[in-house]
Amino acid sequence: MTLETLVNIGLQGLTMGMLFFLIASGLSLIFGLMDVLNFAHGSFFMIGAYVAWATFDGTAAIIPFSDLRFAIALVAGALAGGGVGALTEWGLIRPLYKRPIFQILMTLGLAYVLTEVVKVVWGASGHSMARPESLSRAVDFLGRPFPAYRLFIIALGLAILLVVSVLLQRSRLGMIIRAGVENGEMVQTLGINVRRVFTLVFTLGAALAALGGAAAAPFVGIYPEIGLEYQLSAFVVVVIGGMGSFAGSAVASILVGLARAFADYQLSPLVAQAIIVAVMAVVLLLKPEGIFGAKKGGGL
Amino acid sequence: MQPLSSWLKARWPWLAVLACLTLAPAFLNKFYLGLMVQVFILAVFALSYDLLMGYSGILSFGHAMFFGSGAYVVGLLLKGAAWPLYAVLPVIIATGALMGVLVGIVTLRVRGVYFAMITLAFAEVIYILSASSQLRPWTGGDEGLHGIPVPAWMSPTAERVTFYYISLSFLVLMYFLARRIVNSPTGRVLIAIRENEARAATIGYNVFWYKVLIIVISGVLAALAGGLNALYFRNATPEVLGVGRTIDALLMTIIGGMGTLIGPVLGAVVIRVLGNYLADWFGPRWPLVFGLIFVALVMFFPWGIVGTLRQRPLRGLAQWIKRLSRGAGQKAS
Repeated sequence: MTLETLVNIGLQGLTMGMLFFLIASGLSLIFGLMDVLNFAHGSFFMIGAYVAWATFDGTAAIIPFSDLRFAIALVAGALAGGGVGALTEWGLIRPLYKRPIFQILMTLGLAYVLTEVVKVVWGASGHSMARPESLSRAVDFLGRPFPAYRLFIIALGLAILLVVSVLLQRSRLGMIIRAGVENGEMVQTLGINVRRVFTLVFTLGAALAALGGAAAAPFVGIYPEIGLEYQLSAFVVVVIGGMGSFAGSAVASILVGLARAFADYQLSPLVAQAIIVAVMAVVLLLKPEGIFGAKKGGGL
Repeated sequence: MQPLSSWLKARWPWLAVLACLTLAPAFLNKFYLGLMVQVFILAVFALSYDLLMGYSGILSFGHAMFFGSGAYVVGLLLKGAAWPLYAVLPVIIATGALMGVLVGIVTLRVRGVYFAMITLAFAEVIYILSASSQLRPWTGGDEGLHGIPVPAWMSPTAERVTFYYISLSFLVLMYFLARRIVNSPTGRVLIAIRENEARAATIGYNVFWYKVLIIVISGVLAALAGGLNALYFRNATPEVLGVGRTIDALLMTIIGGMGTLIGPVLGAVVIRVLGNYLADWFGPRWPLVFGLIFVALVMFFPWGIVGTLRQRPLRGLAQWIKRLSRGAGQKAS
């Protein structure tokens, strides 16, 4: 393997890692804070992809600039995901805090329903989305052409990483979230309405996942199974990174993304996927709280 | 020994149902007999899931791996190796048991949501492998195995009535087996573990091995159901290993009522028979209706048909409305 191939695969892995990060960070924070393992999180990713694609193609007649349309599509995707997320937490998850096992069953059922809804609205077969004009070029990277779109995903992921880190570390809300992950009951006792923070974090997590889906749409295509597929990778990331640890999911996303890219190159994608899921199983068994584990115990 | 009259008095509804099912082939056409066969197979699958979720409080999201493995064992041995059917049966049981032991020993180190995730992961690995193109010479890749040779005397198409009786006796046998297990001292320990694991361990029961045992039993039942499924459809495709299968089991158990044994059987009837009509009414997207029913059940009738009938109906609905109107002020737990 030459150095150029190495760099190329590395960049590919980074791209995938950023997509994983966008789903996994929300999944991890939601679990850390609320003890809800959201099996519907991939559905938000899927919704983001579909809404972004529909917006991008739907506004083609009105707005001639594909870059502007793409920006609108990204925002629309994230908003749609966040909206569905907020409704989910408020209407379906909140009434079930006293019955945690049913919370999981609910999110699993919801994932099933949302996938079917998407199939009803947009059909069961896949779609593809064009890239915006300024991102459809290839950029020279160490003498080899590399798609600008992938660099965009990497930049987007890094930007979100930065914004959310600042939010978590430097804002009052972030302080409450971190304290909530540590000990939710104590935060409640101090007179903070934890339930409202729950809704906020769930919405934010859903919006991030949907943004990831929207950004992934032109890159991996749009199909109903995309949600479950990326969710499985996000589970791997969250388990390796440690449930509830934001930094952990960031590092683990990149690790898993790189591992996937190299395994895809050497083996087949299916086998790569199976191996990575097996790695997750091993980590779960040896160190259930994850490598950067923030939270102990499996809940329930 | 109680007198026959009181024995009959207590059980006449069951005997009536059984009599109806026994006489059914005289009245039903081939299509509906086939539907019933599918109901019986799914019912055993749901029953096995109920042993885990309903009676032992083990939330597995990978139950399809047992069902699918049973199907693939039948497919591989009958079609690939041309084994006789009677020799395949012990292999199905052994496969289910072995997988149960492995999955149990490995995964039971983690609990709760981690267990759900790890079982999902295991099932997904097996699903991915079954569909992978590298194993195509054996498993048929993503197309699966088709045209499994079934002995002529129990052919699901030509001898459907025979197949009907085979699957009916299979269900009845498995139902009584499951009930025997649940009502045995071991079953009582499992219920104790579900209710309070720490206390059960403190009393001195080896919680771990009890859980492994029930995973093995449940796995064997599911594998047998999967094997019969492969015989009926004469195929084994990756779909029988997919997450959708696990969700089916969940759906049937939740609809019927978990921890009731007869509930999941009813759930299977509802799913398969209703699904048949829903497909006519709603077209290819009928699973959406099931998904919505599932969500509504989890929310309002978490104990399913049987469980709700045994409790006060509509309590869940009232609670939901009350909680939502009370809003965000509630304490997290």
